[in-house]
Amino acid sequence: MQFGIFTVGDVTPDPTTGHTPSERERIKAMVAIAEKAEEVGLDVFATGEHHNPPFVPSSPTTMLGWIAARTERIILSTSTTLITTNDPVKIAEDFAMLQHLADGRVDVMLGRGNTGPVYPWFGKDIRDGISLAVENYALLRRLWREDVVDWEGRFRTPLQSFTSTPRPLDDVPPFVWHGSIRSPEIAEQAAYYGDGFFHNNIFWPKDHTERMIELYRTRYAHYGHGTPEQAIVGLGGQVFMRRNSQDAVREFRPYFDNAPVYGHGPSLEEFTAQTPLTVGTPEQVIEKTLSFRDYAGDYQRQLFLVDHAGLPLKTVLEQIDLLGEEVVPVLRREFAKDRPADVPDAPDHASLLAASRATAEAGSVQA
Amino acid sequence: MEAITLAVVSAGLSQPSSTRLLADRLGEAVRDRLVEAGREVRIEHVELRELAHPIADNLVTGFPGEALRQAIDTVTGADALVAVSPIFSASYSGLFKSFFDVLEQGALTGKPALLGATGGTARHSLALDHALRPLFAYLRAAVVPTAVYAASEDWASAERNGLRRHIDRAADELAAVLLRQPARTRRPDAFAEVVPFEQQLVALKLP
Repeated sequence: MQFGIFTVGDVTPDPTTGHTPSERERIKAMVAIAEKAEEVGLDVFATGEHHNPPFVPSSPTTMLGWIAARTERIILSTSTTLITTNDPVKIAEDFAMLQHLADGRVDVMLGRGNTGPVYPWFGKDIRDGISLAVENYALLRRLWREDVVDWEGRFRTPLQSFTSTPRPLDDVPPFVWHGSIRSPEIAEQAAYYGDGFFHNNIFWPKDHTERMIELYRTRYAHYGHGTPEQAIVGLGGQVFMRRNSQDAVREFRPYFDNAPVYGHGPSLEEFTAQTPLTVGTPEQVIEKTLSFRDYAGDYQRQLFLVDHAGLPLKTVLEQIDLLGEEVVPVLRREFAKDRPADVPDAPDHASLLAASRATAEAGSVQA
Repeated sequence: MEAITLAVVSAGLSQPSSTRLLADRLGEAVRDRLVEAGREVRIEHVELRELAHPIADNLVTGFPGEALRQAIDTVTGADALVAVSPIFSASYSGLFKSFFDVLEQGALTGKPALLGATGGTARHSLALDHALRPLFAYLRAAVVPTAVYAASEDWASAERNGLRRHIDRAADELAAVLLRQPARTRRPDAFAEVVPFEQQLVALKLP
């Protein structure tokens, strides 16, 4: 099972000091967070994509390329890459390039985005959101799998004799996750292709997450990719930890109360009861995270949000230390218990390459 | 036959409230007619005052807490809706609007509904037709022709030609609709009825 960090990349004033980091500070902080994640043994770093202040990460593959050069092992991903408003040709090119630079340590999570004006800013209509996700991904898959593509669709200029370069590393496209919080159509899309499905459950009650994942698992099996239990599921999580539970609550409360997404709404106590947010000791985080399996089944990827709402970098790095040293080792051990042997790990470049070679050999034997 | 469920939503703020009083009168009048016609009726009250905080939280977080979710399920699952708001500043109250704002799109489509409003004087009675009715038209509820406004003075009106007559007429209309269409207006379940992906592709006419 993979554990990692996902970041939104918000520039938010620290409510306890009033300090607002510069864009440069925030971008460098995101890099430091990724490096720390690798240092403490986490498996994945994923960045969001945004095209409006107060967010900085408009150019994820630029950032991930830089991080790739400064790390050895960690998988670089996104949370999410906008399949609606980005040109699928550019996504194909950017992520193939990143694959080569990062020696295959790359996957991608596609999403539709939740900022209305981004659609018109990029010449699209938000009412086409689902259709854009379906058509653009259909093209993206072909660009990664076929050397020469002729294409005509509703949303972009037709292509004749187009080759996306560079070709994917070893002719193995990056593994794709589809992220959606509310849309059954996207769970259906992920199931149809046998791709991964990531439910960012961090602001949602568990029964909603449960329904989305159950739908994806059922349809994954329907399309013949395996049993429902073998579908590739990812979940979010949001944590703030101190050795003493009360210290964690006291320190995090001002950040919670003023957080951009949910601040000035429910109390910290209500929100922790209703959503995956855990504010307390590493043991409490372990307990809560293990409970995700009760309604999501055995899953493949767990990403934690630790760096939003104006938390200073030093505090965030302490959180990642706690995750790496105390939380994730226990989670690895506990999640492995009673996990059926036929539940796969999340595909990575090595496993996809091995599978593609096995298929090719089987084909040549038959021939 | 299954019992007919009637969700009665009241946005009154004072306790006791004349808005709740009108809501109760409307609900009971509808129930009496249905019972007379041999149907069993279950009235489920949704008092928005008790949900003021959860509704505000939902506006901020995007999802309903447990108590609000139960209220939403009550309203969307009912066979018919009676919705009554006090008139504030020439329109429905903010709390009333906020509750209907946090429903999922399409949640009230086709739902038989009876509208009511209360105010200090009769001067704002047209808010029913200029504010509440367009809101429920947008929500695609099937609103009956008579809506009932109760000003303070109406609570002392003579039985034969005052508030009582309006309540009776409105209740006749909603009861008639429910007796004609006993079938429940259940929302389709997006999870149970997922559009197969091939259909999504075909809709785009991709090669």
